[in-house]
Amino acid sequence: MSIVATAPDRGTPAQRGDEQRPHRSRSGIGDRLTLTRSVPMIPALLLLVAFMLGPIVYSVYLAFTDNAIRGDGAAQTSFVGFDNFIDAFTDGAFWNSVGLTLVFTIVSAVIGQNILGMVLALLMERANRVVTFIVTSIVIAAWILPEVVAGYLLYTFFADEGSLNTIITAVGLPPQDLLFSLPILAVSFANVWRGAAFSMLVYSAALSSVPSDVYESAAIDGAGPMRRFWSVTVPILRPAIATNLMLITLQTLSVFGLIFIMTGGGPAQRSQTLPLYMYEQAFSYGQLGYGTAVALLLLLIGAAASLLYLRLLPEEDKK
Amino acid sequence: MTATTSSGTAVDRTEEESGSPLRPRSSGKGPRERMASTASSIAMIVIGLAFLIPLLWVVLASFDTEATLSVQWPSRWSLDNYKAIWNEETTFRPLWNSLLLCGGATLVTMIAAVLCAYPLSRYRFRAKRPLLLTIIFSTGLPITAIMIPVYALFVRVNLIDSMFGAILFLGASALPYAIFLTKGFMDSVPIEIEESGWTEGAGVYRTLWSIVLPLMKSGLAVATIFTFVGMWGNFFVPFMLLLSPENLPAAVTLYTFSSQYGQVAYGQLAAFSIFYSIPVVVLYLFMGRTLGQGFAAAGGVKG
Amino acid sequence: MASPSPQPRGTDRRTFLRYTAGAATVLPLAALAGCSGGDRDPSTIRVAYQQFGSGTLMEDWINRTAESYTQEHPDRTIELVPIVASENDYFTKNELLMSSPRTSPDLVYEDTFILLSDVGAGYLQPIDQFAPEWEHWEDTAEASREAVTAEDGSIYAIPTHTDTRGIWYHKGVFADAGLPEDWQPTSWEEILETARTIKEALPEVAPMFIFSGKSQGEKAAMQGFEMLLYGTESRLYDEEARKWVTGSQGFVDSLEFLRTVFEEKLTLSISQHLDPNIGETIYTQIIPDGKLGFIIDGSWISQNWTEGAPNPWPEWTETMGITRMPTQDGGGDGFTTLAGGWSWAIPQYASDPQISFSFLEALMTTDNAVKRAIADNHITVREDVAEVQEYRPYSPTAEFFTGLLGTAYYRPALPAYPEVSSAIQQAMEMVMTFSSTPEQAAAEYDAELTDIVGEDEVQEESA
Repeated sequence: MSIVATAPDRGTPAQRGDEQRPHRSRSGIGDRLTLTRSVPMIPALLLLVAFMLGPIVYSVYLAFTDNAIRGDGAAQTSFVGFDNFIDAFTDGAFWNSVGLTLVFTIVSAVIGQNILGMVLALLMERANRVVTFIVTSIVIAAWILPEVVAGYLLYTFFADEGSLNTIITAVGLPPQDLLFSLPILAVSFANVWRGAAFSMLVYSAALSSVPSDVYESAAIDGAGPMRRFWSVTVPILRPAIATNLMLITLQTLSVFGLIFIMTGGGPAQRSQTLPLYMYEQAFSYGQLGYGTAVALLLLLIGAAASLLYLRLLPEEDKK
Repeated sequence: MTATTSSGTAVDRTEEESGSPLRPRSSGKGPRERMASTASSIAMIVIGLAFLIPLLWVVLASFDTEATLSVQWPSRWSLDNYKAIWNEETTFRPLWNSLLLCGGATLVTMIAAVLCAYPLSRYRFRAKRPLLLTIIFSTGLPITAIMIPVYALFVRVNLIDSMFGAILFLGASALPYAIFLTKGFMDSVPIEIEESGWTEGAGVYRTLWSIVLPLMKSGLAVATIFTFVGMWGNFFVPFMLLLSPENLPAAVTLYTFSSQYGQVAYGQLAAFSIFYSIPVVVLYLFMGRTLGQGFAAAGGVKG
Repeated sequence: MASPSPQPRGTDRRTFLRYTAGAATVLPLAALAGCSGGDRDPSTIRVAYQQFGSGTLMEDWINRTAESYTQEHPDRTIELVPIVASENDYFTKNELLMSSPRTSPDLVYEDTFILLSDVGAGYLQPIDQFAPEWEHWEDTAEASREAVTAEDGSIYAIPTHTDTRGIWYHKGVFADAGLPEDWQPTSWEEILETARTIKEALPEVAPMFIFSGKSQGEKAAMQGFEMLLYGTESRLYDEEARKWVTGSQGFVDSLEFLRTVFEEKLTLSISQHLDPNIGETIYTQIIPDGKLGFIIDGSWISQNWTEGAPNPWPEWTETMGITRMPTQDGGGDGFTTLAGGWSWAIPQYASDPQISFSFLEALMTTDNAVKRAIADNHITVREDVAEVQEYRPYSPTAEFFTGLLGTAYYRPALPAYPEVSSAIQQAMEMVMTFSSTPEQAAAEYDAELTDIVGEDEVQEESA
């Protein structure tokens, strides 16, 4: 699961200026945090320290041990220094999953969800109301379904005797076998199916804040639709695009269930992204220490992306 | 499951903008615009169909006792698939577990989030910005990556396979986002109203409960529903933290069911998928209808 | 909570806060553990077993025993813990359950191949104080008793049964393809030739099936790979030198055989091979429908066709033939098989091992063991069971498979074996999906093996 926040459709700065009012306009009594006043924050802080910070700190410890479910590391855990990391960096399977994670993120998020979401948002502006309503409902339905259900549905779609082959053989094309021949593409398509709604909603909200007279004046200048998109829409949407890209990258980095259900990372590790590699090492092979080391690397990548996202986030959300 | 929304500031803007994403710009325009509109509609229909097929499969297969992997019109419509899974072990217990797990965790998250958001929204303090930044930062962290240490930690402190432990972890993992959302909504409740409460001698908690929360009811409902729906779809957390068959929620039993009978009982699997998905679909429809105004981003649902 | 401004009564609160902050890191988890980690009731015996597919044999066995057992001990209850998981996941989930006192079962059903690994990990407790006194310990075959004895000389489990492997073939398919009904291949090449003949004559029938790849778990390593490897001159482990074998020619040859099967499409589709539950589909549909020529599989698979099974197929006795697995080119004894087996073990954290063992005894009485053997179509390891009148003729295949026991090979009885098995499954998957050549996959296996057991524990196969 990844739950994320965004503020895609900011109004103009003038519109937002009034939000700062509460703190300024009041006399001193209510505005400074005192000890009593911070008490309500305790439950949240306790939970976060125990269940988020705790595991992260613990993972730093675990990643340097040989802790395991079976074999030697199970009965007795000992420190192994950087062995786990060295093992990872010298293991072809690790780099295989790094590469696949990259492909998965770029194909399904940066290209797939992002562009399809933008296209849908642009089409929504022009298409028939009823069509828009029905199609957006379908796209959103794909998005809200539980991950396991989505994984299963897309598995049936791409399977040998699945819907896709029924359709393409009906029009006379040879059947595909993506789940076997190019599983990373199959799971990428699945992630586009599941995630396009997010980008669509972000972009459609952002587009609605573009005043229509901007387009009209561009049209009067004789700019064609493509010109208008690149020279008017994209620059205006740039902040939304940047934020959206960060968010879908973060979500895609941690996709586990969808791939696990569809291919289990196989066949022959050809769709084994980092989360699946980490899981297999930790549980199928029982190497908790090594799995944690891989998890820590994934966490670092996620943290870097998250920091970037933080920088991109509009200032008023940080107040 | 992913949830998004604009921050709470959206509340202020909704009246002028509600529904605008769907505003057809072409109505009543010239032939060029009408052609663009038709072309756009056709393109949308094509994309919509591609998205529809897998959804259609699950609905049709659930009514077809002879369902295959491919989408097909049932030769005979029947409720047998639903009847076959209409029992405690397959359906009711996992769904009850899901409800317990996600309902409990949502409660934990929302109570902690509201309490935490209040000081963040109402007071000034030096650590506020770093604290907020940390919270936003942690909304982006891949929870997937900490599941193995969480698992190992839970074994150490003997919380593995405990529903209570899983509820607290799931609750904590949704907390950063819930705090961020709730604080946004709380910011938009004018503080002046509260001050009148104080002058009447009501304490902070009284004020929060009887003045602030009612004013941000719809925002709160949205945050609650997003939190719940996100948890409902989560597979990895219960998959890692719960082991005993009697504790497993629907997300995990659907997986075991599909690996166990997947090749022989597609129809039942489809029927179970539908049972399991209905709550989130209903919640979204509900939100789209009554709370959609609070959400520019949810505009697509309400139409 | 940061930067609290000085307040008149601040000291008290600050102390309080500091206390809370300190406690924040330690208390919550410890407190949680305290209130949820209660002692389990020793009078409830939790019995863990694998439940996968629609079979109910294990459930029936435990329930049947529980009924009479609880009549004798009205104060005790038997709680079934069916672990719904495919082969590999079952062992992992079981280990996860056993790793904590709060979730540990009191009795677990384990394949002997994972037993020693679990002993090494400290999940199981020795049962030296019970086993030798048990009335059927002496009735149990020597090889089986050895299989449950660890390197430290302690006994860790009670063996339930053993099994051997051969080739099951469909006489109807053979007749349709113009093949003799009485089949005994004498080399791998003959197996392939037979498969090619079937493919030619009956395009809609899959000629053969061999378990392969990660999703089939130990079945792939044992029924699939090792049935081939132990028909070459190579071994996984050199018993004399006490080293694991790398650079083995037999390893490459076995993978080469596998590649031929997949390359010439002499088997089911790849996606069927990747389905963890394909076994059940084969037994309940593909074979009875006459859509499969032959399968290299275990002695027990007829349990899917007998009267009590969910989809009985009484014709199997006439339709299915069994034959021995030939060695690579007819060398050695000419034939090969592997024997495995299952057992009941008591986890380290069982609430009362004595009570656990008393239920184990009830599961393993002569009468119960006979019923179980007949229902499960398995080979007993117990003299007292073999002597019972009903056991003898219970299945037309029992004598054949029991006869194979004498020359059967066993998997290396070492804690590292489960991990080595995973590496084998991985190598098979690389070859069957044409991601690696047999040579590459074998080299990857060698590297993985060295990683698992350490440089000092491997040696190059002597030419």
